[in-house]
Amino acid sequence: MKSKLVLFFVLLTFVVSGCASVTKDQIVAENIVTQKVSDPIEPINRVVFSFNNVFDKYAVRPVSILYRGILPEFVRNRIAYSLVNLSMPITTINNILQFEFGKAGISSARFVINSTIGILGFFDPASYFGLEADYEDFGQTLGVWGIPTGPYLVLPFLGPSSPRDFTGLLSTSLLDPTYQVGNSANRDLFRSYRMGVGVINFRSENIEIFDDLQNNSVDYYAAVRSFYSQSRNSQVSDNLEVSPSINQDSLFNDFEEFELDDTYIGPDVSISYPE
Amino acid sequence: MNLKKIITLIIFFSSLNTLAFANFESEENFVSDFAASAINILGNESLNNNDKNIQFTDLVMSSIDMNLISKFVLSRYWKTASDQQKISYLNAFKEYFISSYANKLDQYSGEKVVIVSSEAAKKFVIVKSNIVRDGADTLKIELNWRLLTRDDQTKIIDLSIEGISLIIAQREEFQSFLSNNNGDLNALINRLKSINAKN
Repeated sequence: MKSKLVLFFVLLTFVVSGCASVTKDQIVAENIVTQKVSDPIEPINRVVFSFNNVFDKYAVRPVSILYRGILPEFVRNRIAYSLVNLSMPITTINNILQFEFGKAGISSARFVINSTIGILGFFDPASYFGLEADYEDFGQTLGVWGIPTGPYLVLPFLGPSSPRDFTGLLSTSLLDPTYQVGNSANRDLFRSYRMGVGVINFRSENIEIFDDLQNNSVDYYAAVRSFYSQSRNSQVSDNLEVSPSINQDSLFNDFEEFELDDTYIGPDVSISYPE
Repeated sequence: MNLKKIITLIIFFSSLNTLAFANFESEENFVSDFAASAINILGNESLNNNDKNIQFTDLVMSSIDMNLISKFVLSRYWKTASDQQKISYLNAFKEYFISSYANKLDQYSGEKVVIVSSEAAKKFVIVKSNIVRDGADTLKIELNWRLLTRDDQTKIIDLSIEGISLIIAQREEFQSFLSNNNGDLNALINRLKSINAKN
């Protein structure tokens, strides 16, 4: 564990010194450019995406429905809060790697307060002290360092990703302190809790949204791709303190053409109300 | 001792934030009025689902710039469309848009919209807000409203949830579908109609 950390910080020094000449504006510009989703292996991605949908349909979704059906909302809220709490140590590490020392103070204070007064993180007294949750992973840190996201990837079982985010995911599993807690049995329990319950918790909160997307999308694959890349871009621009809406502005560049196109106003459409 | 200091400082700075003057008061009011009207309809237990749908649709259609949104999501394919295609598309998209929330209005469970701040973004005004849920009020969802004022009328152009713009997502979806269908706008119109028929 220790040697891994040392290695990591040595690597980090190289990366940071290499990026030192890159300005924040350049990184932001880079992120805006890459916001046009690059998807060179779309046919392969679509196959993996269909496979994941089958896995979801027969495994993840039914378990999520059970989870939501069996556990009362109070319990589910406690679990959601404990997952947030468990993500605070890795968030702190990423805060530091992003040179956000104030935020690192907040996330570590949150972890201490909620793990103790908040009874193992099941409650969130820290927020009432004004310490608001923020989540950082290595994918975001790499983005802040100016590393481009790369082409869109759909990973088997894991879903939407990119080379940058997949690298981040691997580093997280190596370096997250909450993955290293306890003896081997406890550690596995912890990992399973976070991974398994994390997936089911997220899925159970979005059952209707995904059902709806799947049934009513013109192109479900493209919708998910857009959601994923927009979400990751906005998280990185948030870290660079660029308002996500400002970041989105470039996407509205050709808006004016349509605004000026008043030559065709369109029919006065009658609305039919579905029963 | 130290922690106490940090906490006091943080509380001080976060209270400063909320005291900051509203940049775009009329836009913020527009959003809070819209949210209040929407919640009034959704939370009204004396209305059945059909009535909720009618009232909610009236509210939405009078508050968004449907015409601009429809053209924008079709992007370059709008310019090459025939008049007949434009009419079919606008009709099909409007119905698709309405059916995207119909049948879901009864899922509303007391969420509230809290306005945070507002800022200019080119010709638009962005009003930032949070959706808060009872019982988990510190797990809030960021909801940003993109507004455009034309001829003294403010309209909603886009909603962005946790950084995901719905109009951009819709545009990417349509562009993807069209490029996988040789740019055939009739294929998109038929797809929209078949989804509308299901709902």
